[in-house]
Amino acid sequence: MTRQEIEREVKNVFQREFEIENPDMDADLRETYEFDSIDAIELLLAIETFLGTEITQEEKKQAISIRTINQICDYVEKIAKKRNLFSPA
Amino acid sequence: MERRVVITGASAITPIGHGKDQIVTSLLNGVSGIKTLREDELISRYIHSRVYGTVDYPIEYDFKRNHRKTMGPVAYYACQVAKEVLEQSGQTEEFITSGRLGVAFGSIHGSPTTQRNIYHVFFEAKEKSAYQGIGAVDYLKSMVHTTAVNITKMFGITGRVISSGTACTTSSQSIGYGYESVKFGMQDAMLCGGADEYDTITVAVFDNLLACSTAFNDTPHKTPRPFDKDRDGLVVGEGAGAVMLEEYEFAKKRGANILGEVIGFACNNNGGDLILPNLKGITNTLKLGVENANFNPQDVGLVSAHATATKMGDIIEAQAISDVFGDNPHVIGLKSYTGHTMAACGAIETIMTLYMMQEGFIAPTLNLEEVDERCAMIKHVQKTLQQPVETAAIQNFAFGGVNTILLIKKFS
Repeated sequence: MTRQEIEREVKNVFQREFEIENPDMDADLRETYEFDSIDAIELLLAIETFLGTEITQEEKKQAISIRTINQICDYVEKIAKKRNLFSPA
Repeated sequence: MERRVVITGASAITPIGHGKDQIVTSLLNGVSGIKTLREDELISRYIHSRVYGTVDYPIEYDFKRNHRKTMGPVAYYACQVAKEVLEQSGQTEEFITSGRLGVAFGSIHGSPTTQRNIYHVFFEAKEKSAYQGIGAVDYLKSMVHTTAVNITKMFGITGRVISSGTACTTSSQSIGYGYESVKFGMQDAMLCGGADEYDTITVAVFDNLLACSTAFNDTPHKTPRPFDKDRDGLVVGEGAGAVMLEEYEFAKKRGANILGEVIGFACNNNGGDLILPNLKGITNTLKLGVENANFNPQDVGLVSAHATATKMGDIIEAQAISDVFGDNPHVIGLKSYTGHTMAACGAIETIMTLYMMQEGFIAPTLNLEEVDERCAMIKHVQKTLQQPVETAAIQNFAFGGVNTILLIKKFS
């Protein structure tokens, strides 16, 4: 999975699950889109589904500090790399 | 400190209509909201009772995603009537969020639709991944106080939360405890009510207890038949009702439109059997209610009876009404129009009674064609009466032996 594909999947999740289209990738999710802890849990489940891999409890706890969609993509990229699911281009 | 408590907003979603105009029109025209039970591809095919008090018209909701995500169908109903009551009462956002407004709202057990999805995962789960089928919000949709806290979230209400879950007395308790909260100065206003969504499990429970109507499956509008000699049980229904209760001086000062006044409430328990109606318990409830209202029982003009149309329940209620109120008040059973809307019934019947008070008529008990002689000692209403109603009692009784009575008065 490339960075581009990760961004496309994350945007799909935001459109499908959170009704947020063409999101600002660097906007604060809480302030701009009223994104909250419940949404964060749903998002992690959606990421597990499109990556086809389980995210550990420890990894999930690391997601707490995420504030923007770009940071979400960084987080997904990191997990994908750990599991050899990431390709650079 | 005892303060007067007035009603400054009322709205309901019922099997006979949504909002005052539709409900009053249905009451005046003898419209029944009982329809054929919908198939649920689960247990409906085994249920003997094929009737249901159904909300079968579209409701336009405009709730934001951020709110919708924690709401099951029951919370949609609750938040919609709450929204309408907040708008109608004209409360300012400053007051709504001040902590001086509380919420008393409940349902019999949260959202059964959501619970059913959880059970589906539970019984079908063969692999670890299946547990992801239980969403992060499923508890928030199915918990017993889901209606109350989805309302507080949606409107930013920061006062007390009371969330009764006492089956058929849920929303009469909401109004009663809301009334006491305002009367004794704990809150200046309370948004009170109850809701329940379409649910075949509830029908199955009553069906198994042989308490459901089964003889009118081909003519749903002919049942339930409170106090009628051919009654054969209750009909489960769905819906929601909400009222805004408010301290009188506060309402007057802000120029609110006052719809009526709550003058008394009582609640007790039979202290024994959890299902069977109990004459002593119910009689005591009614006595406690008129004492609480400091009212002469002979002066009650209208009784909205719980009247589910079960064989024994109606007889015992008629006896209790006769013992406490005599044969002076007109007695009606509003479930004949809507079916038994469970947690919502106390609020819906209070609101219908309030509407009749405002419009100066008494709707008859639908399907009451020949009064059962064992229920004949009270003054039944079999055709529409055009006459003013000054005071009314709304009675509700629940599984668990819980009984309530609310007393309301026309505002003058």
